[in-house]
Amino acid sequence: MTRFAWLQSRTQTLSIYAMLGLLAIAAAITGVHLSNLYSSQVLHCATGCDLATNDFLTRDSFLRHTFDVLSLVTPALLGVFWGAPLLAREFEAGTYRVAWTQSVTRRRWLTTRLAVGAGAVMTIAGILTLTVTWWYRALDKVGSNQYDLFERRDIVPIGYAVFAFAAGALIGAVIRRVVPAMAATIGVYAGARIVSTIWIRPHLLPPLHKMVSLANADGFGFVSSNGSPLTMVAKGFAGPNAWTQSTQFLTSNGHVATKAALSAFLQQHCSAILNPSAAPSLPVNKPVKTPPGVEEAFHACREQAAQTFHLLVTYQPANRYWAFQWLETGIFLALAGLALAGCYWWITHRAR
Amino acid sequence: MNAAMETVGVGKRYGRRWALTDCTLTVPPGRVVGLVGPNGAGKTTLLHLAVGLLEPTAGTISVLGERPSAGAAQLARIGFLAQDSPTYARLTVGQHLAMGAWLNPRWDAAFAADRVRELGLDPSQRTGTLSGGQRAQLALTLAVAKRPELLVLDEPVAALDPLARREFLQTLMEVVAVDGVSVVLSSHLIADLERVCDYVVVLVAGQVAIAGDVDELLATHHRLTGPRRDHLALPGSMTVVEQSHAEKQTSLLVRTGEPILDPAWTVAPITLDDLVLGYLRQARERDRTTAPARRMVVTR
Repeated sequence: MTRFAWLQSRTQTLSIYAMLGLLAIAAAITGVHLSNLYSSQVLHCATGCDLATNDFLTRDSFLRHTFDVLSLVTPALLGVFWGAPLLAREFEAGTYRVAWTQSVTRRRWLTTRLAVGAGAVMTIAGILTLTVTWWYRALDKVGSNQYDLFERRDIVPIGYAVFAFAAGALIGAVIRRVVPAMAATIGVYAGARIVSTIWIRPHLLPPLHKMVSLANADGFGFVSSNGSPLTMVAKGFAGPNAWTQSTQFLTSNGHVATKAALSAFLQQHCSAILNPSAAPSLPVNKPVKTPPGVEEAFHACREQAAQTFHLLVTYQPANRYWAFQWLETGIFLALAGLALAGCYWWITHRAR
Repeated sequence: MNAAMETVGVGKRYGRRWALTDCTLTVPPGRVVGLVGPNGAGKTTLLHLAVGLLEPTAGTISVLGERPSAGAAQLARIGFLAQDSPTYARLTVGQHLAMGAWLNPRWDAAFAADRVRELGLDPSQRTGTLSGGQRAQLALTLAVAKRPELLVLDEPVAALDPLARREFLQTLMEVVAVDGVSVVLSSHLIADLERVCDYVVVLVAGQVAIAGDVDELLATHHRLTGPRRDHLALPGSMTVVEQSHAEKQTSLLVRTGEPILDPAWTVAPITLDDLVLGYLRQARERDRTTAPARRMVVTR
């Protein structure tokens, strides 16, 4: 049965391996060069370092874009073009009646088809993410937070790909038609990723809290939502490569500053920003220039705020990166396992 | 020897619709059995139950003495040719033979290779580009090379042109003659069955209308014509399958094991065609009186 399952997926497997091979060769050649550049231009930089770093970061833009896109969409593509048609095509073409009446039980047929498919998908996703992660290793050291690239590096893409494949297979078995199953697979995969990113990942490990100074915060500014009065926001710096989840202002006695307190502070010290004296109506399509005096006012305001408030940062430290990688990979692999179990139940119990 | 197929009170429900109800049937081994009935009568459902693609909602079914799809060994004993002869369009003829060899322990590679050569099929051709007749022949080859004890064919010739149909049935008869394999094949075309079957099962609206040896059925059914009679007084051993009354004449299709002695009747033999149609009409009449909402299409 393994030989037959392989025969059915041979063409696509080999063509994908060929493409991956080309990418890996391109990555190997340029990757070594990037490493050397990183060493000479960034690490051991003597003069004009900002320019040199900038130059380094814009190297190999074609490969960078290719890898960015591929690492983002490959799991979805594997689910849509490999998982969804795997069983749906058998039903749509009626060939399940051939497959299930050979001298092989349905259970064994399904096990083999799923195992061969999942194995190939896992290998493909693994090779791709390994290549991408290796190629990017020097670029990633410069100016990006590891948590920002979380979904496109290391092992989580493998979990995503296996999940997409398994979900596609189950959806295909239930819907029994290729194109609708593909569409549904995109929806389910995107949904799972969004839910996981927004609602699950931040809570996988209880975050830590830390008091930091506003002086070296990652960000400071003012926002107004839906025409409400301006209020002050900041993004505290919790350490290199840490994941800052939220930042609150603390008063000198250690309590979280109320809205009223922030508002009073702004009225007192930053009125120049709240009510810009003569805000000229700027013509559209012209580069916006900060009105004179506002920049000074902004800095004065920030300095005053730094003396008045501390920041309470809720964050995940840098050394939890791999814990998050394993946890999220594990969750997606577990979901994939559920979907595969669903395939079994559906094919051996419902499809009779 | 076990019956080729035996069903007791078998029913199959899809959602709220019963495709087959209370179907009790014994098909003897070593026969070529024609399963005939109008479209939607439940022929495909019955055959899918027999090969284990489906499981009955009610009743029990055994094929060659075992529950269908009881395991790989039982699957190996049954060869199945599904309706419209599905094949993997992107695989070649040769790859289909390889599949047969990999997936079936009793695969007869020599037979399969010979058949493909005789049919003039190119082993490197993808089956998606074969004609309907070629595809049907390839699918039959796959089913037969499995060396099954029972060959189940679902509407194998329905989609074929007359020439391909004749060739297909020719092949089938050769195989039966050589192997002595039991065959159950369905068709809504009685003419196809007449040529090859020695046993017939008429299925109407999910129920068995009649089943039996073709020669025996033909010997015990007669067409009687005579002057019009509104009240029939027939011997108790005689069952009326169908009756029609014209202005001056009454015509009956009757079943009896006894000779017909009443001189008022002109007795004529009937064809398989007449027999099947008689039972189809009878079932439709019964259907009309008991369940007027249900509609049935009889195709010929």
